[in-house]
Parts: sequence; structure tokens; C-alpha cells
Amino acid sequence: MAKIEPIIGRYIWIPFEGEEYRIYYEEAGEGIPLVCLHTAGTDGREWRHQLCDPKINTNFRVIALDLPRHGKSIPPYDWYKENDEYKLTTKFYMGILMSFCRELDLDKPVIMGSSMGGNLCLHLAEHHENELRALIAIEACEYSPGWHLDWLSHAHIHGGETCATSVFGLMAPQSPDKYRWETWWYYSQGGPGVFKGDLYFYSVDHDFRGKTETLSGNVPIYYMTGVYDFACTPEMTEETAKKTKNSECIIMEEIGHFPMCENPEVFNNYLLPVLDKIRAS
Amino acid sequence: MFDPSWMKRWQEAVNSNRPMRWIGKHFTAKLLLGFGDKQFVVSFVNGKIAEFTDEIGPETCYELAVKGPRTSWEKFCQPVPPPMYNDIWAMGHPLHGRVTLEGDQMVMWQNMRAFTWALDRMREI
Repeated sequence: MAKIEPIIGRYIWIPFEGEEYRIYYEEAGEGIPLVCLHTAGTDGREWRHQLCDPKINTNFRVIALDLPRHGKSIPPYDWYKENDEYKLTTKFYMGILMSFCRELDLDKPVIMGSSMGGNLCLHLAEHHENELRALIAIEACEYSPGWHLDWLSHAHIHGGETCATSVFGLMAPQSPDKYRWETWWYYSQGGPGVFKGDLYFYSVDHDFRGKTETLSGNVPIYYMTGVYDFACTPEMTEETAKKTKNSECIIMEEIGHFPMCENPEVFNNYLLPVLDKIRAS
Repeated sequence: MFDPSWMKRWQEAVNSNRPMRWIGKHFTAKLLLGFGDKQFVVSFVNGKIAEFTDEIGPETCYELAVKGPRTSWEKFCQPVPPPMYNDIWAMGHPLHGRVTLEGDQMVMWQNMRAFTWALDRMREI
């Protein structure tokens, strides 16, 4: 019998700020919409294990999109003659995501983002709390400096190999090799300058210091960080969580910055109780 | 650890590693590795450690120095290294500073895959 996964991939055109973006997304399951945001410089393949897990997709409609310029989502047609190098901004990231949710007519989705997707959760709580059911901010904190580096987009440096290797140590040595090297593979396939451009949001434009404590708490935030994350350490997440009303902070042992794909079995064990709470609320 | 006999074993581990033959094909650089007060200049040629020396004087040249306290390297070399010590960029990232990176930083970024692969061999000796 053929081994076929439940994931279905589709393309949707998303109008946003005078452009139309052809966005690829994958989905599986039925129930509460659970929109998954990939990390910088890669794409929605990171979520393949959660998309396929019946313990998740029985009660949730799991959706993983590729941001424009990532994976199978093409850049805007004029990308090659833009005036400046690519830089992901909070305004664009949040805007394109919410437009995507509206076009799919998602009713109060849960947003689950990792790394830059986790950091975005703070901005979503600030601007869209009434449209969202809950936020799962993985490997997230209010400020994560030190990654917007020219080395990650440099004519004298192999972008694919270097971007991938620069994040390899963010994964825990306990995570299975097969999944760590699969994650490395995803990273090696990013478009030129995309990882660095995403890290503009991650390390520069996302600076939520002084604002975290002002969030209303109307939408719950679940922070989840692995102990091997050296970009957003457990201490950085804990500091942010302490300031966040209606939040919970989960520190995950023996896992790193890419929990959903570097060690899905361990991560899903941490995630399932969070999803249960969201369902019960 | 971190004496000439240990370096010799690391050299053998790197040079006999099969994937290093293709991963390190273009990795040619002179690096200074500082393990506390013990320092070596290591010459990589096409992914192999051609030679190393701890005789470092005014005429010794190298492109990049990676220096850290002995305790940082001891943790890095553990079979399962603890958080923040499992990777050269983890240790060298400005947020943590478990090692310092001095000199031509591009050498590390250009050769990051081969360099980290070579350093990982330290856990095999």
C-alpha cells in the first residue's frame, strides 16, 4: 500500500499593498485553524511532522505557508530591480500574514511561529489580539540581536552552505542526525540574501523592548524555547515571558532552535498539552 | 588535552575522515587555535591538517585566531556538549563570547562547513 501523507499543497494569490503575492501553503486536518510560521531563510517544510501528526490534525486545521521569496512562494516580479537589498519588516510580515488569514477566511486562528515567526507573535498580540485565538511563540523573545550579518549574503561566500552551517549549532546534539541534517538541507536552499533579509526583522526591526509589558493579555501567548538555542536563550525567553500578561513559558530540554523539525517527537510532546489548553479555552 | 600529542590525534582524525575529503576540498587556511594559555597554529591544506606548531614567534603568520579558555574547549569536546558550547559559532557569537574570533573573519565564514566539520572531530579523540 502506498505511503501517502495527508498534506495537501495549494497556491493562493494574496493582495497586499498594491501587489499580489503568489503564496504556497500546505495544510492537513480539520478544526481550529493553526497557522504555522517558518523560521528565517527557509520555508514551511519545517512543519511537515506537525502537519502529519494525527494527534494534532484531528482537532486542528494545520496550515504552513511559505512567505514570499521562500520555498515555493515566488518573490514580487520586480525583485531583481529593487532599490535596496531585501529586508523583511514587521509591517510587511504581519500584513501579509493577516491578509493570508483573511483570504482563507480563517476564524480566529491560532498562530504558531518559530524564531522570527515566534518574535512576530508579540507584534500580533499588539495589533491583532481580537482576530486571534492564541499565539504559540517558539524560540521567541522581545529582542534577539546579532544575526543581521553581511556574511550571510556575500559574493565571496557560498550562501547555501554557510547559512545552513551557521544555524546547525542552534540544534541540540541529542536531536536525531537525520532531522538535523534535513533542517540543514532546507537552509541550504534559500534564495540569495533571503536569510540575511529575514534576519533584519529578527535582529533589527523586531525590538519589542519597553512594549512587552504593555500588551493587554487578551490573547494568550505560550512561549516555548529549547535549551540549546543560543540565538534566543531560555533566559531571554523567560525574561520576556515574565513581562507578558496571560502568558506561559515552557523551556524544552534536549532540543534547540528548530524544535518542530529537529526533533518532532520531543517537541510534539511539549506542544500537545498547549494545544489541549487552547481547545479547552 | 590540548597538548601536541592530542593535536596529533586530532590531525589524524581529520585527515582520515572520508567526508572531509569532499567537504574540505577547498579549505586552505592558517588558523591559530588558543586553548587557554596553549596555542597552536594549524595549517589546513585542501581540508587536511598539513601541519601544526606551538612554536609561535614574531614571524608566525595566520589568518584567523580562535581563542578561548580551556574550560570552553573542554565543554566543546564532550561527547554531548552542553548548551552554548556545542558549536564554534555558538561559542563565538557576541551574545556569549565563550571564544573570541580575531583576524580575517571571512576565513571562517567562507569555510564554515569544513571548519566546523573538522572541529567536530575533536569529540572523536
